[in-house]
Amino acid sequence: MKQPKNLKLRRWLADSLKILVLALFLLWTIVPILLVVLTSLKNQKDIFTVPPTLVFRPTLDNYVRALVAGDFARYFLNSAFVAVVSSFLSVGLGTFCAYALVSLRVRFASLIAQLFLLGKLVPAITMLLPLFAILNMLGLLGTFVGPILAHTAINLPFVIWLIMGFIRDLPEDLEAAALVDGCTPMQAFWKIVVPLILPGLAASMILSAQFSWNELLFALQLTNLDTYTLPVGISKFVGSISVDWGKSSAAATLTMVPMIIVGFFIQKYIAKGTTGGAVKG
Amino acid sequence: MSRRPYLAMFLILPAVTVVFFAMLIPLAYGLVMSLYDYKLGSESRATFIFLKNYVRFLEDPLAIKSLVITLAFTGIALSCELMTGVGMAVLLTSIPERWSRILGALYTMPLLISPIIVGLIWRYMYDPTFGLVYYVLSGFGLDSIFGGLEKPGWALFSVAIADVWETTPFVLIVASAGLANIPKELYEAARIDGANAVYALRRITLPLLSKVLLVVIVIRGTDAFRVFDIIYALTSGGPGNSTLSLSIYAFQKGFDQYEMGYAMTISIITMAALVVVFVPLMKKSYARSQ
Repeated sequence: MKQPKNLKLRRWLADSLKILVLALFLLWTIVPILLVVLTSLKNQKDIFTVPPTLVFRPTLDNYVRALVAGDFARYFLNSAFVAVVSSFLSVGLGTFCAYALVSLRVRFASLIAQLFLLGKLVPAITMLLPLFAILNMLGLLGTFVGPILAHTAINLPFVIWLIMGFIRDLPEDLEAAALVDGCTPMQAFWKIVVPLILPGLAASMILSAQFSWNELLFALQLTNLDTYTLPVGISKFVGSISVDWGKSSAAATLTMVPMIIVGFFIQKYIAKGTTGGAVKG
Repeated sequence: MSRRPYLAMFLILPAVTVVFFAMLIPLAYGLVMSLYDYKLGSESRATFIFLKNYVRFLEDPLAIKSLVITLAFTGIALSCELMTGVGMAVLLTSIPERWSRILGALYTMPLLISPIIVGLIWRYMYDPTFGLVYYVLSGFGLDSIFGGLEKPGWALFSVAIADVWETTPFVLIVASAGLANIPKELYEAARIDGANAVYALRRITLPLLSKVLLVVIVIRGTDAFRVFDIIYALTSGGPGNSTLSLSIYAFQKGFDQYEMGYAMTISIITMAALVVVFVPLMKKSYARSQ
């Protein structure tokens, strides 16, 4: 009779330990985010209390200062523009390219795909320094050309690999049947391939837009006051000696909340997407 | 499945063109200009000095220091992220799916946040007067030992922790996906044979997860090696250059001191180091999906 009781106790201990670890990791994940969101709703005095107060009179003052006085409304639009254009470009061009590489029996298809993959290894700074010098000579610094071009080029390799994976997973007979029925390859692409890989297209669209929305380094050096994106605007706050915590946490909240919400919807595709299809989700 | 070389070319060319203009031309230009001594904005007066910038790198104590710092950062961040991420993924598979799905989604949040905001968040956490980290540590009487972002001995570690906070979810998600693909029968069989949990972890989970982990190491390792954003936000390379990564050093040389030729040299050496270390690993990890 002693054995089962002991076993029960051990299982109970293991279960409580498990729950404790899961809960601690949840705290570790959420507290820093919550702290910024709460700070954005506090007035100047409440921000600096130790430990941070949980009960306070919320104010939208910081948001007003960030959006109206702080140009953040414009940065928001700039970020949205760059993210939308560059993600449409990378998903559009990437899908055409992936279709050709998988379905059209291109010579050296796998070599071309691998060369794209090498693009993932190029450090941003290695690309940025010469790109800055070139755009400077062409008089294109401070326009949207720089960040859009850079974000598209960086997203293309992973989009191509991700979409190639989705197209490969389609039943092969489907396309073959369409071609036998007299479809041209492009008709087969639009009528059969695209509708079937819509989830993949949506996931790569969101992941590309997210990268662009969050990207700092290219946007930092290739834009000017009129074309700053949100991360650049925030970096100007953080860079100063005494940080205006209220204003910058309001801006940070506005920037991160859309991405967190969108993230919940594409949860299923994050593993596949972030590894360019190397890991099946 | 027809051969349509012209159509294929027409479809592939636009993507190649973007990469050509945004990546290959800058890389070629950077490679050439790394052989010149010139300041930003005075390209016409650049003087050809061949490999002197590269020799300068080898003789520059700060450059070597930043290489060491970059390696240390990559080592600390990658090992913490792998252990925590894989551990939490294993733990998540052992609870009911309803819960693991909700928790998994919540755990993912830091990954979705811009690194500059992660930097902002952690500067707030690490603030010596009102930061939560010091407050929590003082509960254990450790606040006087911890140096946060202020002391050179602690800054790199503190920055790495912020990076761990942000990117452990990536390891967790990818490892979870890998775990989901391991046949459950294997564990059944092991249990019938009387194997305990540790044995199953060592003999089933980790070996079958190794390919997925290789992908994680390649992606996270290359990202950590070229770290910029989070250091830029937290310390900008200080205090006393103790968090000066190669990307930060190249950035400072190029954009703060206008020494573009040397900055490009640093950034190209960064890329070369990445290629040497990670291309063999990458070949292994992506060979399977070909």
